[in-house]
Amino acid sequence: MSQINAYRRKFMATLGGVAVGGLASSVILRTVQAGDVPAKPADQPVSNQVRWGMLIDVNRLTDGGASMVEACKREHGWGNDPKARPEQQAQWMRTVKVTDKLTKYSFTLPVMCQHCEEPPCVDVCPTGASMKRADGIVQVNKHICIGCRYCMMACPYKARSFVHESLTDQRPHSPRGIGTVESCNLCVHRVDQGQLPACVEAAPNAVIFGDLNDPNSRISQAMKALGGSQIRADLSLNTGVRYLGL
Amino acid sequence: MPLLSHIKSLLGLVLLATLLVGCDAGVPEPNLAPAKAKAAQCVEPTADMRKNHMVYLDVHRDKTVIEGIRTNKHSLNECINCHVVPTREDGSAVHYTDEKKDHFCASCHTYVGVKLDCFQCHADRPQIVENINYQHKLSSNTYHLSAQSVQPDMNDLLWLSQSQTQGATQ
Repeated sequence: MSQINAYRRKFMATLGGVAVGGLASSVILRTVQAGDVPAKPADQPVSNQVRWGMLIDVNRLTDGGASMVEACKREHGWGNDPKARPEQQAQWMRTVKVTDKLTKYSFTLPVMCQHCEEPPCVDVCPTGASMKRADGIVQVNKHICIGCRYCMMACPYKARSFVHESLTDQRPHSPRGIGTVESCNLCVHRVDQGQLPACVEAAPNAVIFGDLNDPNSRISQAMKALGGSQIRADLSLNTGVRYLGL
Repeated sequence: MPLLSHIKSLLGLVLLATLLVGCDAGVPEPNLAPAKAKAAQCVEPTADMRKNHMVYLDVHRDKTVIEGIRTNKHSLNECINCHVVPTREDGSAVHYTDEKKDHFCASCHTYVGVKLDCFQCHADRPQIVENINYQHKLSSNTYHLSAQSVQPDMNDLLWLSQSQTQGATQ
């Protein structure tokens, strides 16, 4: 009986997914709106009243997220470290191609730090450098990172990278340097000033960014209507980055 | 005998003095020109800054990274924007590791032998390629570090003309 139930659930989920795909392309995703990120006064700390999140509609990404990755590279200056081998290069965000073995149906999605509510990287960090801000953004406080790379091991999304070499001329708003771990920080420097993350600006028709705690925000409305699946939902991490059309 | 010992100690003193003078001549002068250039315009008094700049920076960095407070006053980026010129007159980039020791922070830190860690991660010079007006404004058309005034932007002109007309009517 339980097997049958499991099968039914799976079937219904598939149906739901199809329905979501159809809806998403027609109804919700409009262009990025300025009101998604209200500007915070510079001298005020972030509050836990908001939780930043992102909803990515995979079907509406014409390039599978490649332009989002490029925008991230430009914003934070990673991906071109002069001495690193290709497999050593930092990778804050990457595109992953998924193919169904039976039907050969395939799609590509961008994967970066999922900004979990219960982040495993924060659990394992021996110094407290891997941290979650009050507004739900998970990031590395590089001032106290000792470069042990436990967080890289713990992250189920392979979202973190290690800098192996001395760097110069980093972006002033995005410090990165030898011996520290780094990852997507949801463009904290932009969000704190009321701007959207760089990757969201690069794919305005496919991505909604906003406050998950506010039931009236565009992202909450969209997720209420269409859902928003997590990658590895079985881990119960309650990710802040959600996908449509997986 | 006491006379001889006096002479001995005197000789010793003279020898020590000459040695000290010799050492003194050997110490290189620090290049304080970059540090003095902007001292009067700093956000804190010079003496306070000289002693406590790392306290200000440490407090601010924790507030910024952990709490998201991004004020300009004690921000390292603003220190760099004001005190470091991005390129020398010959067009070469100014870095804190350069032999010339003309980077604002390095000019003093190398002299006193205190290691600079900030710039392993942080940019050590302003980035002007994408942000030409990187220096913070002193008034409507003068920026830190620029002796010559730059072209005022449209908003400033509008504001100016408005205030002038108001003044005329009064």
